[in-house]
Amino acid sequence: MRASILKQHHVLIASVQGSMSDADLAALRDELVSGVQRHRATGVIVDVAMLDVLDSFAARTLRGITQMVKLLGAECVVVGIQPDVAFSMVQLGLTLEGAATALDLEDGLALLKSRNRGNALDGD
Amino acid sequence: MATEEHELVVPIKADVDIVMARQRARNLVSSLHFSSSELTLIATAISEIARNIVSYAGEGEIVLQLAARDRRRGLVIIARDRGPGIADVERAMQDGFSTSKGLGLGLPGSKRLMDEFELVSEPGKGTIVTMVKWER
Amino acid sequence: MAGKNAAGEVLSATEPRSGTEMTDQELFRRKQFLQFDDGDEENLKSINELARRYAQSVIDDFYEHLLSFEDTATFFSDPATLEHVKNAQQQYFLRLTQGNYDLAYAKDRLRIGAVHERVGLPVKAYLGMYNFYLRAVANRLAEAYASDPQKSWTAFLSLMKLTFLDIGLAIDTYIDSSEQTIREQREAIQELPTPVLPFRDGMLLVPVIGLISGERARQLTEQLLMAIRNNRAKAVVIDVTGVQAVDSRVANHIVQTVEAARLMGATAIIAGVSPEIAQTMVTLGIDLGRMMTVGDLQSGIEEADKLAGYSLMRMRDRGGPS
Repeated sequence: MRASILKQHHVLIASVQGSMSDADLAALRDELVSGVQRHRATGVIVDVAMLDVLDSFAARTLRGITQMVKLLGAECVVVGIQPDVAFSMVQLGLTLEGAATALDLEDGLALLKSRNRGNALDGD
Repeated sequence: MATEEHELVVPIKADVDIVMARQRARNLVSSLHFSSSELTLIATAISEIARNIVSYAGEGEIVLQLAARDRRRGLVIIARDRGPGIADVERAMQDGFSTSKGLGLGLPGSKRLMDEFELVSEPGKGTIVTMVKWER
Repeated sequence: MAGKNAAGEVLSATEPRSGTEMTDQELFRRKQFLQFDDGDEENLKSINELARRYAQSVIDDFYEHLLSFEDTATFFSDPATLEHVKNAQQQYFLRLTQGNYDLAYAKDRLRIGAVHERVGLPVKAYLGMYNFYLRAVANRLAEAYASDPQKSWTAFLSLMKLTFLDIGLAIDTYIDSSEQTIREQREAIQELPTPVLPFRDGMLLVPVIGLISGERARQLTEQLLMAIRNNRAKAVVIDVTGVQAVDSRVANHIVQTVEAARLMGATAIIAGVSPEIAQTMVTLGIDLGRMMTVGDLQSGIEEADKLAGYSLMRMRDRGGPS
């Protein structure tokens, strides 16, 4: 498993490290989804800044995470997609439809905060 | 097309081998003049066709070769398997923008990422995908 | 243009850059059209001896004439250049009566024409030179063959055919050359890089002018994506007011760029979509649903302001600076 999950207030932050195999990604998805419930998280951020390739499987997994998190009543933001990776993804036809995106962790947290204004996040 | 010493064979049996194939390709082309976005395109295309091997044939191999043509250098990627093959190649190459499952984007998507793309498949015998990316 | 430049150009003259393809066939057709035949070649060769005698004086007269006009004189202000050009001109005059007007001859004419074009010698000077030369030679022929007017007349007609062959070749190099220039300029315009301009904190403006396709389109997208990261851009206004036409490749490229920007967390707004482009995009089946489009650049900037959380107001509406 090459991803670490941090909890900050009610947000789970998953940082993906370097190259991830399909199994690694699937494991991350499972852990995040169970984590949302366990920690009663209102937001999830998946930071893919370190990911060198985001292929169709990875994109599908990210969309899956977004949808599952939403079903559990929380918001998910994918942050840190690098210019090269974004370029490659659109060439391939991958658009992460339905997933919220932000430039980096900082912007991702700000986005979650603006969406949850008046919610538990005000605590920080 | 390519010289022997610039050829690498990466066996593909499980999903971890997909990552391996991407890394081997990156190392192999380090002496070529590919921009970082071109390297990402190459790695992504390898990922897609290697995954097709794992998903549909179970096992196979990816051959990476350095090539030269008209003073331009490039990378040739050959994905070979002895899987069930593709009965309807034309359909497999159709763009699956709307589908998120199956072959959907893998083959036509990889074709868009590379400069050259060829698919030869025989039902029951296997599939060979040959792709080339040239330096600009 | 200064004489020194002209000298340098003359000395470094090599192959014409023009696209005139001279072949034996083409040369044959040109001669046929001018009714230039072996008889003419003989006529010209027969006056070679005479030409040797008059060449120097005709050239001296001609350059005196040239130098009396300011616009042509500037080309020969340098004495060394003048000397060089006079020598070349003498060789040329003698060549006219030496026969053997073959492919090599025609190619040499094209080369000389290209040299003159390159130094910027106007066509009128070129034509004036031939006119001056023909008149001068006509007089010399009439004098030399006073007892045989028929002889001087036929020799003159042959010379006129040959000089018109030469003029044709020279003018072609001028035309080829200016066409080449137009082509190069068109390409240069097409290759102008599209700038990605940060215009407010977190906002980028991309004014797209002309056609974007192929390599240039790819570079634009990569550049924009890097700029989004480096400027931490939240909103990108892509102004396509300067884009006249859109084909499916360009339209797809615009869509891809918008999608890629979104993947990085930025919203791209397409401003200045003309009715023609809108129609094309719909006809091509390009999905505009996920794209934010506005009519003009101003609306685009207003939308971007909203996205980035800016609001704009006049100083006096705030009650002036306090």
